[in-house]
Amino acid sequence: MTGSRIAAIIGKDLREFSRNRFFVFITLLVLVAYVAVFWFLPDSVDETVRIGVSNTVLNTDVGGVTESGTAGFALEIYASEEELQTAVEEGRDGIVAGIAFPPDFLASTAAGETPTVRLLIPAGLPPEIQLLLEGAVSEIAFGIAGVAPPVDPITKAVVLGTDRAGNQISLREQMLPMILIMVLMVETFALSSLIAVEVQQRTVVAILATPVRIVDFLAAKGIFGVGLALSEVVLLGLLIGAFAVNAPAVFVILLLGAVLVTGFGMIAGSYGRDFMGTLLVSMLFMIPLMIPAFGALFPGSSPTWVKVLPTYGLVEALIDVTADGESWSQIAPSLLLLAAWGLAAFAAGAFILKRRVATL
Amino acid sequence: MTTSSNPAPSPAIDVAGVRFAYDDTVAVDDVSFSVPSGEILGFLGPNGAGKSTTIKMLTGQLNPDAGTIEILGMNMPGQRETIQARLGVCFEEKNLYLSMTGGENLVFFAKLFGIRDFTPEPLMERVGLSARLDDRVSEYSKGMRQRLMMARALINTPDVLLLDEPTNGLDPVSAIGIRDLIRGEADRGAAVVLTTHDMHEADTLSDRVAFINQGTILTIDTPDNLKLAHGQRSVRIRTRDGDGVDELVIPLDGAGAGDRIKDAVSAEGLMTIHTEEATLEDIFVEYAGRGLAG
Repeated sequence: MTGSRIAAIIGKDLREFSRNRFFVFITLLVLVAYVAVFWFLPDSVDETVRIGVSNTVLNTDVGGVTESGTAGFALEIYASEEELQTAVEEGRDGIVAGIAFPPDFLASTAAGETPTVRLLIPAGLPPEIQLLLEGAVSEIAFGIAGVAPPVDPITKAVVLGTDRAGNQISLREQMLPMILIMVLMVETFALSSLIAVEVQQRTVVAILATPVRIVDFLAAKGIFGVGLALSEVVLLGLLIGAFAVNAPAVFVILLLGAVLVTGFGMIAGSYGRDFMGTLLVSMLFMIPLMIPAFGALFPGSSPTWVKVLPTYGLVEALIDVTADGESWSQIAPSLLLLAAWGLAAFAAGAFILKRRVATL
Repeated sequence: MTTSSNPAPSPAIDVAGVRFAYDDTVAVDDVSFSVPSGEILGFLGPNGAGKSTTIKMLTGQLNPDAGTIEILGMNMPGQRETIQARLGVCFEEKNLYLSMTGGENLVFFAKLFGIRDFTPEPLMERVGLSARLDDRVSEYSKGMRQRLMMARALINTPDVLLLDEPTNGLDPVSAIGIRDLIRGEADRGAAVVLTTHDMHEADTLSDRVAFINQGTILTIDTPDNLKLAHGQRSVRIRTRDGDGVDELVIPLDGAGAGDRIKDAVSAEGLMTIHTEEATLEDIFVEYAGRGLAG
């Protein structure tokens, strides 16, 4: 009997949701817009640094390094220094800077003189690229002059963390957790609005005057909230290929994410006085919850305190699975953190909503 | 010869020494009353008197701080769900689902009562809304919403009906319809408690009225008994006398009262005859020292 009552409340909520033009519009808009944005984003990272070189002296391969993409470093040859400068200024051919060898470079080198090579650097070029250029000048000069570098140290690289050399995370992959979390957040607002209306119009009082218990009501809201958020985020995930790697793990992560945002939806709905008030309270939760997803867009930029935000485990687990293809055991810490936050948020939401209903 | 040893049937509602306070503000204090099946008890009092708080305790919305509430022989809130299955409630606020139709509202609440195969048409017919069955409640007028509230209260054919200002905001014709409906439910055997500001409603509809003020019941009795106890037993007769008006007050308890009334009525120029009966509001003021307004 309790099950049928819970089902009746869920059915009623679904009907109200489907008749709210705003929610339906936002839901469809989010699905279409996010899918479009996702597929328009580049899915690969060009790690090659392109540098322009004015080669008025030689028409041959400059030191044997003009082959595009060789060791992530490519040279574009320009006939004159003027042409090179224009190309740098206009960012033509994807070059980030230019090296202008003087016309008498070979003769000066052969005579044992030290010719001046001009670096054409656009404003705002990162200093590390400038250092790279200076090194490249030496390499190219040795190549042209046919003399080996005077020092040849042995180097050994130690990569800290996942070695992404040659396999950088694309913008599309970086945006994936952000897009999924954004959808969860939108459904948080939908749930909180439905709860706020139920509280404000005191229809919950009428429900609780029937044999429905408060725990039935809370269960119905919880199931509806999780179901709504999960169904939309899974649909979006299918459309953007989020389930390509370890689909069961992605599903569990999204399920726990839906539980998490449902808890916050209950809290926001309990405090919302009207549409704008509910929107405001929802935003108070949504903005901090988005921060870890923004951090994923700029790896290494997040301060330590981001780790205490409830969605940190969600973002970490999603990136670990979708971008790095990590296994269950590898994502277990993030998953446990997410589960703990999800249960805490859900329990807090149910408790606050129960207290709010008791005051009506 | 056999003797019946059946005890007297217990009242449908039995409230004893109930108290409730919102933090430090006492809303209801030592309230006791009982309502047998088939009776309509009207709660009459100004705003803030404790009427709605009493109703909320009867519906299980609030738990009393002290005292006991028994409904249909069961303890409220101890057996809340069992009682609520046999309870019909009409709230003061029109807490309906506006985006759903009138029929959908009734079907939804029928499911909450566990009623299978419920069809809303007969109830909508009873409250005069059958033509609006498939219209969304957001398109209903205030009076139509009130009638739908009444229909919702009757979904489970309740044994106890709790009505908080059931005719509030209704036009006179609709109000008469709702009062007929309430009387019909009492005649069916339901115990009815209704709160109202409306003295006329309390007078015409209630079998007994309870005056409540500042959380305390001042008195409970039938309207007739209250009026007899507190009004004057006399008749005021006005007759035309040339260009003026003569007024005659005849005490009913005096000797020859009947003959005096007969003479006055048969005289020429009779204009009006009024009893000097007290109104419920007069009696309430006498008890509470204040009126019903506010």
